[in-house]
Amino acid sequence: MSDRPLIRFDSISKTYPNGTVALSDVGFSIGAGTIHAICGENGAGKSTLMKILSGLEAPSAGSVAIDGVPARLDSPRAAAVLGIGMVHQHFSLIGSLTVAENIMLGQEPRRGPFIDRAKARARVLELASRYNLEVDPDARLSALSVAAQQKVEILKALSRETRILILDEPTAVLSPPESEELFRRLIALRGQGLTILFISHKLKEVRALAQYVTTLRAGRVSGDASMAEITDDEIARLVMGEAATSDIAPPAPAEAAPLIVVRGLSLAGNDANDRLEAIDLEIRPGEILGVAGVDGSGQRGLVKVLTGARRADSGTVLWDGEAIGVADTGALRRRGMAHLPADRFREGGARHMTLTENAVAGMHRAFRLGPFLKMDAMADRTRGIIERFSVRCPGPFAPLGALSGGNAQRIIAAREFGTRPRFLVADQPTRGIDVAAANFIQDQIVALARSGCAVLLLSADLDELLRLSTRVAVLYAGRIVASLPNGPELTPARLGPYMLGLETAA
Amino acid sequence: MIRNIAAEAMLTLVVIAVVVGAVLVPLALTQPDPLGVVSTFLLGPFKSPRHIGNIVELATPAMFCGLGVALILRAGMFNLGAEGSFFLGGLATVAAALWLPLPGPMLAPAALLVGAVVGSSVCVVPGVLRARYGASELVSSLMLNFAALFIGLYVLNVLLRDPTAGAMVSYKIPAEAKLPRLIEGTRIHLGTVMAVLACGLGALYLFRTAGGFESRIVGANPSFAAHLGLDADRIGLRAQIIGGLLAALGGGIEMLGLYQRFSWQALPGNGWTGVTVAILARDHPGLIVPAALFLGWLQVGGDLVARNFDVPNEAVGLIQALLLVAVTAAALTRNPRLLKAFGARRSGDAA
Repeated sequence: MSDRPLIRFDSISKTYPNGTVALSDVGFSIGAGTIHAICGENGAGKSTLMKILSGLEAPSAGSVAIDGVPARLDSPRAAAVLGIGMVHQHFSLIGSLTVAENIMLGQEPRRGPFIDRAKARARVLELASRYNLEVDPDARLSALSVAAQQKVEILKALSRETRILILDEPTAVLSPPESEELFRRLIALRGQGLTILFISHKLKEVRALAQYVTTLRAGRVSGDASMAEITDDEIARLVMGEAATSDIAPPAPAEAAPLIVVRGLSLAGNDANDRLEAIDLEIRPGEILGVAGVDGSGQRGLVKVLTGARRADSGTVLWDGEAIGVADTGALRRRGMAHLPADRFREGGARHMTLTENAVAGMHRAFRLGPFLKMDAMADRTRGIIERFSVRCPGPFAPLGALSGGNAQRIIAAREFGTRPRFLVADQPTRGIDVAAANFIQDQIVALARSGCAVLLLSADLDELLRLSTRVAVLYAGRIVASLPNGPELTPARLGPYMLGLETAA
Repeated sequence: MIRNIAAEAMLTLVVIAVVVGAVLVPLALTQPDPLGVVSTFLLGPFKSPRHIGNIVELATPAMFCGLGVALILRAGMFNLGAEGSFFLGGLATVAAALWLPLPGPMLAPAALLVGAVVGSSVCVVPGVLRARYGASELVSSLMLNFAALFIGLYVLNVLLRDPTAGAMVSYKIPAEAKLPRLIEGTRIHLGTVMAVLACGLGALYLFRTAGGFESRIVGANPSFAAHLGLDADRIGLRAQIIGGLLAALGGGIEMLGLYQRFSWQALPGNGWTGVTVAILARDHPGLIVPAALFLGWLQVGGDLVARNFDVPNEAVGLIQALLLVAVTAAALTRNPRLLKAFGARRSGDAA
């Protein structure tokens, strides 16, 4: 490559004590002052490689050279001294502290034994203006939106004379306009001489941002090229192997009477994401109603009410014309509700319980023989799921927490889809998971709709919404501001103004 | 899985050895016969059938209380009413044995049943308050233990007290209500068999029944339970009812197995021991039996040292306390590096 290589990975291998080979013989270099994308499925080794670069893990073999000098990266501190900063997918920030306290955490300027708050504040303001990332240093972090928190996380990563910035799927938590904003900032940072490593599943983002791309598959480098010389299809092939990307057609508009009717639904809440104002919705059996909206527009409140986690303050939810009174998830599930939650490890399953336990939970009473559970039958069902849903795992008794996000989501989806639901709430069903798992789960959602299930699909991924949905409703500040039939003329560009609240077309 | 459990057990044993070495040895060196102190503490409890019997006697109530607490903790509830349940269970069992007009063979089972139901209230009331009003079961159960004590003492003084006895004790427990002794030369009684059986049934319940499974889901991840539509309030309450019944049954069995009269003037401490046993056994019913026996051994060894040497009781108590702290310290026994040193595999995600 034309630029002087800043980082060189030299035949890096990483084998975990349990025998998992995360990386084998990975070698490539990254030029100074470039944005270099690293693509790969979940479990391909991207995160492991970045953990090695940021000093969180040691490689089993091989070395990293920075500026041509072999680097000792035995702790995050050592990496920081070399000018490496990481923006984690799950922010390493503390909600109860202010922005300035978060950014200066661990490197507070001192006056005697005390923290020099004025100086800390000044340093944060100086950083913010240097990198043109405006933040309020005195705001409490928990009061900020996710996008603003990410800015803080980036500033924190930049706060130690950073030359190399690693971003691990930074757009997973952002809405499309926020992502574009982030990209502009990253390009500006590159203009200031920073080298940026950008990890992503989304080819569009890689195309928009990066000059070089390295693809990883199963722990090996499967491709390394300049973006100018490679097409999106080629990258997809290098990432996925020979598996073709699936072509999904959304289910046709259904004729049947609506299964779910929502009228005048309102919900109060401290968080904007919970607040709803006079929501009207109808979902027919066999159709997928997509809900678009900037993150925090009331999606969480809508999901809570429809899954029985909270009772609406006013308005009605009708199932088959019958009003649902109290919030009762168990009763809704008995009616045929299924829910693919946005946070798969918090709500979707229990990390420390086995795959079998996670896969049958909720329907476990069907496996009873007298007072006992039929353990063999439960394990057999799980083996079936592992095979049909191609779950990569050590076996039905592995803990859920040992699986990658995509594989865990397959187990959770198998459980939820296996109840033969009449109404599915799919909340960010493919966020942060690899392309193969995402395609698989999208296929399953469409198949479920074709078999007559009414589906409510909430997604921050507009491509996903437009590919799967029969209709798309746009949520803005707790209101439905548009409800549009899906078709070739419906594009992200047309949804954008509604999502940002610039237009309404109820 | 097995490999990891074995590593954890090995590590626990090594921690015990280190603590005993670090505390017992200096203490022994202050005595004219240091070797005697150490060997009495460690091996003394096994030297006579009577002492072995003592270990088992001490372990029996610890098993009931430990099992009860473990089942409650597994459901994510921090109910510490086992102490009061044990006390009140003992009292109510004695009262029922004295008052119920039943023929001999029916008396013990009926008295134990009454005792278990009455005694369990100390765990159940905080459970109901938690399920109904969201009150902290930790606080209300701790307070209720003392309410149970003083209600119990009042009942003892006013209704059960034998005026011909010198102290505030109940009338004699009828002979036909007593649990049979099993082994000559010891006081091991039928209750021990029931305790071991209960632990086995507890393991079956927790790992092989729908109720136990639901309990573990709620304990492992309450948000997951809510997502599944499980009624966490009801499941938590169910665990507290079962736990309270077990602890109270332990109190009744202790009375009918070992005592002539109800004579507790204060909370006996077996419920607290139960909490220790449950933590030691990592809330696993199958490990309750060895954990309870371990504590019994510690107690008997300490008693022997205090009785035979010029070592104050407090020093013995100190050793026991330090051992417990070390063994239950998750920082030591759950330390991934230490576990790895003993051959455990890491179950981390390999992304």
